Amino acid sequence: MSPEIQLAGIHPRSEKLIELTRSYERAGTSWSQVEVQFEQETRELIKLQKSLGFDHISDGALGWQDQLRTVARSLRGVESGTRYSRWFDTNTFYQKPIVAGKISAGEIDPKNFLQTRLLAGEKNRKIILPGPYTFSQLSENKYYEKYPDLLFDVAVAEREIIRRLRNEGVSLFQLSEPCLVYQPYRETFRGESEVELALRAIRSVVENNPGEFVIQTYFGDAAPIFSKLVDLPVHGIGIDLFETDVSSLSRQTSKTLVLGVVDSRESYVEDPHWIADTARKFRKQVDVQDLVFASNSDLKFVPQGIANQKLEALSKASELFEGSR
Amino acid sequence: MSKLFPIQEIGSLAKPKWRTKGLRQPLSAQDLSEAEEWAQKLGINDFHDRAKGILKTSDDKTRTREILELSTLYGLRLFETAGVDNDGVGGEQQRVEMYEHVIKAVEGMNLLGHVHSFDYKYFNKGVAESKVSRKRPIYTPEFSDVTRYAHRAVKVPITGPYTLVDWSFSGYYIQKQRASSPKSRKIEAKREFLLDIVEQVIRPEIRDLVDAGASWIQIDEPAVTTHPEPQEMELFVEAWNETVKGFSCKFSDHTCYPSEIGYKVLAEYAPKLDKCDQLALEFANRDTSRLGVDESSREGYSDLKHFVNAGFSGEFGLGVAHVHDFTGNVSSGAGQAIGRDLIESPELVRDRLLFATKIVGDPVKIWANPDCGLRTRTWDVSFAKLANITKGAELARETFE
Repeated sequence: MSPEIQLAGIHPRSEKLIELTRSYERAGTSWSQVEVQFEQETRELIKLQKSLGFDHISDGALGWQDQLRTVARSLRGVESGTRYSRWFDTNTFYQKPIVAGKISAGEIDPKNFLQTRLLAGEKNRKIILPGPYTFSQLSENKYYEKYPDLLFDVAVAEREIIRRLRNEGVSLFQLSEPCLVYQPYRETFRGESEVELALRAIRSVVENNPGEFVIQTYFGDAAPIFSKLVDLPVHGIGIDLFETDVSSLSRQTSKTLVLGVVDSRESYVEDPHWIADTARKFRKQVDVQDLVFASNSDLKFVPQGIANQKLEALSKASELFEGSR
Repeated sequence: MSKLFPIQEIGSLAKPKWRTKGLRQPLSAQDLSEAEEWAQKLGINDFHDRAKGILKTSDDKTRTREILELSTLYGLRLFETAGVDNDGVGGEQQRVEMYEHVIKAVEGMNLLGHVHSFDYKYFNKGVAESKVSRKRPIYTPEFSDVTRYAHRAVKVPITGPYTLVDWSFSGYYIQKQRASSPKSRKIEAKREFLLDIVEQVIRPEIRDLVDAGASWIQIDEPAVTTHPEPQEMELFVEAWNETVKGFSCKFSDHTCYPSEIGYKVLAEYAPKLDKCDQLALEFANRDTSRLGVDESSREGYSDLKHFVNAGFSGEFGLGVAHVHDFTGNVSSGAGQAIGRDLIESPELVRDRLLFATKIVGDPVKIWANPDCGLRTRTWDVSFAKLANITKGAELARETFE
């Protein structure tokens, strides 16, 4: 079997949709016109995934304003706040969730999370959510005295969100945990105990929770915690090949590995032969049963045309990879 | 003693509808009604003569020139009327925005399309398709209009080389690298791209500005705090020092909205920046909207101590007004939330300045400014914010008299 291909994050909006949303902000376009375009682009993206042979279909979260806000607005005890913070080292921003009370799942409207109506015909639906560790790390805590209490309350609330989304037919949940590996500054390097705490929180989300889970890391080197990641009771682990020191990975695992093998932050469209070759080298290093090809993070960092070309490159690479076996 | 807490703007103002529309098509008298209203407020006495000229010209190029000149004059007068001590370049009316304006003037670069920044804000991202060089002067034509009309000191904001490179796709520079790992290729490509931008684009521009009389250049580097890795910070310092080498004008750095690590890393490297006379930084965005000069009320300004502790001895441009949408609560006396805008009260501005003075230790080193350019706010809101910064600085000044 050739490697599966998946979306690993928020997909970019087209120039047409961008212009409509800008016009809406200037009160030049009605929301219904914007909504029609959102729907049309979601349909096109679903069609594209199917034509490229994706097994799990995502709606691309085109309407998500940032990676955290949809979850933040579904939690009691969390306010959206007014502060915009930079999303890691990108030129994009997110509204910083403010933790002002005890966190629990609030009113969860699945329509805010995914386009259920447009995904109606799809059996295998994938959704991408921030993991509990990343969500809590990127929030401003004004309530909890102890960080672990905050972390585990986020985890419990996410279990409830996941339960609701499973009822909407979602079968694959990607929990994005860039904070596990993004460690750019030496003084804030995460200690082992903090990593253990984060992994325990992830465990508490996924253990005895039906559905498939992938823990996706990006913007940092997954090698230092790789052996711990593959011990998590999840279906798959995702790593960013543009940040990870593959030479220090050496391990046999029965987990599926999601290879972030196209760079969502560069416009250069990777050659499918290079992708397949890189994946082959990876498999020589790590004895892995199944591979998934994906971008290393949200493709929203490149224009839509480039993003779609990168998906096509992944699809071709998947065929080439199969041919080599 | 020189005036304490002088006011400066940071760069942009929103572009009036008549300026935006007028660059695309001929205007009607109706289109200029908003300009007429503001002409009275800002004392643009020759508005009617200028309007006649704009309306009667059938030549697109002439109309564009006249509109750019007029909008620059408006921007300068808005700052001046609000009490700003340093006019800047009239709200950057002659630029598309900070990034695209430069990229369009760079040979070897192409704008690829829009990418998401936040909410419904996007930016047009460029890619290096070959070795870069300057195609034409970037800021000098604007500076020539500004010097004709400015009554006060002029500071020219320019987009810094590190930010230009960080916000672009490396394209050509990535493809030519031979390093084996994807990560090494990216690092090597960035350095080569950056040093080319410094030498081939930014330094020639600074040379032209200085030759035209510019005495203060603000280098906008919002991208720098997004890469706190030592290797990236050293690259930033190397590029900065190369940029300013041999020039004798005043240089300041403007940085805003850092990633989670805050300003801590920039503070560590700031003393290594040659000729960096001032750091103009965003703080109000991260602060509370209540009065007070205690640490908890002024939590947004705590990062200032990192700069002091690291030994940065220059001035600080203190962000005392928020420039983005505001949806929080405002305590009594601290300001007024109107729709999506917060108009900080003079008292809140005062408290921010006084708290910062406690950390910096010397009021002479502190300028008051908005967090960043005001391009996302209406002119009414921008004017109200700047006017209250002016009043707040006056209140702060009184405490030292």
